[in-house]
Amino acid sequence: MITPDSSTRSWRSKILVAAILLIVLAVVPGVLSALGKSYYTQVANSALIYCILAASLNLITGTAGLLCLGHAAFFGIGAYTAALLASNYGLPFLVTLPLGGVVAGLAGVLVALPTMRLISIYFAVATLGVGEIIHVSLLNWISVTRGPMGVQIYDPITLFGHSFTSLLSIYYITAILACICVYLIWHLTNSYFGNALRSLREDDQCAEAMGINVSKLKVQTFAASTFFAGIAGALMAHSAGYISPESFQFSESILILAMVVVGGLGSLPGVLLGALLLIILPEAARGLGDMRMVAVGVVMFLSILLLPKGLLGETSAIEVARKYFNAAWSSRELAGWK
Amino acid sequence: MDTYFLMQIINGLSSGMIYALIAIGFTLIFGVLNVVNFAHGEMYTIGAFAGIVCISTLSWPIALVIIVALAVGGFSGIILEKIAFKPFRRFQDEASLKSRAMRESTLLSSLAVSIIIKELLQHFFGAEMQSIPVQYLMNDPIPIGPISLSSGQFLILGSSVVMLAGLQYVLYHTRIGLSIRAISNNPLGAKYVGLSVDRTIIATFAVGSMLGGAAGIMVGLYSGAIFPAMGFAPSLKAFVAMVMGGLSSIPGAVICALILGVCEALATNFMTQGWSDMVAYSFLILTLIFFPQGIFGARRERV
Repeated sequence: MITPDSSTRSWRSKILVAAILLIVLAVVPGVLSALGKSYYTQVANSALIYCILAASLNLITGTAGLLCLGHAAFFGIGAYTAALLASNYGLPFLVTLPLGGVVAGLAGVLVALPTMRLISIYFAVATLGVGEIIHVSLLNWISVTRGPMGVQIYDPITLFGHSFTSLLSIYYITAILACICVYLIWHLTNSYFGNALRSLREDDQCAEAMGINVSKLKVQTFAASTFFAGIAGALMAHSAGYISPESFQFSESILILAMVVVGGLGSLPGVLLGALLLIILPEAARGLGDMRMVAVGVVMFLSILLLPKGLLGETSAIEVARKYFNAAWSSRELAGWK
Repeated sequence: MDTYFLMQIINGLSSGMIYALIAIGFTLIFGVLNVVNFAHGEMYTIGAFAGIVCISTLSWPIALVIIVALAVGGFSGIILEKIAFKPFRRFQDEASLKSRAMRESTLLSSLAVSIIIKELLQHFFGAEMQSIPVQYLMNDPIPIGPISLSSGQFLILGSSVVMLAGLQYVLYHTRIGLSIRAISNNPLGAKYVGLSVDRTIIATFAVGSMLGGAAGIMVGLYSGAIFPAMGFAPSLKAFVAMVMGGLSSIPGAVICALILGVCEALATNFMTQGWSDMVAYSFLILTLIFFPQGIFGARRERV
C-alpha cells in the first residue's frame, strides 16, 4: 500500500541520503584540502575506487556465492587498457574509461565461459589461476606492458576541453563515477537478475530445476562484475598517473575479498563500509609502521570468527536500510524481495 | 639424449619433489577436513625461518637443522589448526560438515591467518632475503658421468624419498594413520565407531605441516633464498598439483607435482624464467576444464 504519507517520507529520506552523500563526498574533502591535508584526499580517492571494486566483487562472491580469488586481475586489465591507450595513442579519458571497462568485461566473459560449470572450491582455484596468469602476463609481456617498469600517463584527465590537474578535482570525478557505479550495481542486485543470483547462491541445483539458466547467469554476472572492476582500474590508472604489475597481484585480490567479507557477503552498504574501513584503517594505523597489514589480517580473521555475516550481513543490512532509509534504497519496497 | 636435457629433468624432479611435499600436506588436510588450507604455504616459510634461526644463532649441523624445521613445522601446524580451523568446527552434524558456508569461512580464515603470519615474519626478519652461511649452502657440484648435480639436489631427492616412505609407514602401519584414512573416507562413520575426530585432525595438520616445513628449509639450503613471501609460489604450484591429482589422492598429487616440476624445468628452454610460471597455471586451467575430477581423481560427491 502506497499512502501519500509514505511517498512524502520516501522523498524526505531520498533527500537525506543525498545530503549525507553530498557532505561525505564533497564538503569533507573540500575542507580537508583547504586545510592543506591533500594526502587525505588521495586516501579518500583510493577508498572510493576500492568501493567500486568491492561492490563489483560483491556481485560475484556475495550475491551469486561464487568465491573469486582473482578479482585484481580484471582491475589490472582495466587499468592497463586505459593506461596503454592513453599513453600510446593519447586517447582522452572519456574514451579510455569505458574501453577499460569493456575490455575487462570481455576478459571476464572469456574466463567465465570455460569455468562456468565449476563450483565452489574448483571455481575459486580456477579464478586464482586466471588471476596469476594475468599477473604473469602483465609482468613478462614487456613489449606491450613494459613489464615491471609500469606505464606512465602523462596527460591529465581532460573532460570537455577542461583539464583536471588538482587532487581535489580528480577526487570529485572519482566520487561522481563511484556513485554512478555503485548505483548501477545496487540496481542490478535488486532486480530480477539479483534475485536469480541469490537463488544460485542458496542452491544452484534447485535454481536450475526452477528454470534458471545457471551457466548463462554466471557468464552475465562475470561480465557485469568485471566491467565495473575494469572501470575502477581505468579510474585508478588516470587518477594515479602510473601503474605497475605489483598493484594487481594475488594479495590485492585478497584485500578486495577481505573488504567483502568484513563488510558482509551480499550486502552492498556493508561492503562499501568494509572497503572504507580497510583502506582507512591502515592509514589510521600508520603509527604501527609495517604492522599495518597484520592489522588488516587480524580484522579479517576476527570478523570471520565473530561476525560470520560481516558488519552488515545481508539480512541485517536490509533491515537497517529499511529502518533508516526506507524507500530511498529501493523503489519496490512493497513488492520486492523480503 | 642431451646431457643438458637430462640435467634439466633432474632439476625438475628436485623442484617437483618440493611441490610434492607441500601438496601432500594440502591433500591430507583436504581429505580429512574437506577444506583447503591456504595457510599451508606459510608452514613452508616457517620451516625455512626456523632452520635459519638455528643456523645463524646455534650453528647446528644440517641433519639437526632439518629435524628442527620438521618439529617447528609440525608444531605450527597444530597451532594453526587451533586458531584457524577449530573455531569453525563447532557443528559436527552432517549438514554443516557439507555446508558451503562453513567450508568457505574456513578457507577465508586460513587466508587471513596466512596474511598475519607473512606480515609478522616480515616485521621481525625484514622483507629482504636472509643470507645463509656459505658452509651450509648446498651448491657443491657432484659429477656423475657426463652430468654434474649439486649436493642440494641429492639432499632434496634423498630426504623426500625418506619422508614419503615415512608417510606411507605412518598412514598404513600405525593407528593414527588408520584413523586419518578412516576419517578421510567417511568422517561421520569414523566418528560413530569411536574415533576421536579432533585428535586425528590435529595429527593430520602436524604430519602435513612437518613435510611442508622440511621442504622449506631444504629449498633454503639449496637456493639460499629465504624471505617471508617465499611460500606463495611453491604452495600455489603444489595446490595446482593437488587439484590435478584429484584433491584427495596422495599418489596422484605426488605424480602431478613431479610432472609439473619437470615440465617447468623443460619449459625454461623455450621461454624466459618469468613465463615458465605460466606452465603450472595453464595446466591448472586445462585440468579444470577437461578433467574436473582431477587426472587421478577418485570419484567423489560434487564438491
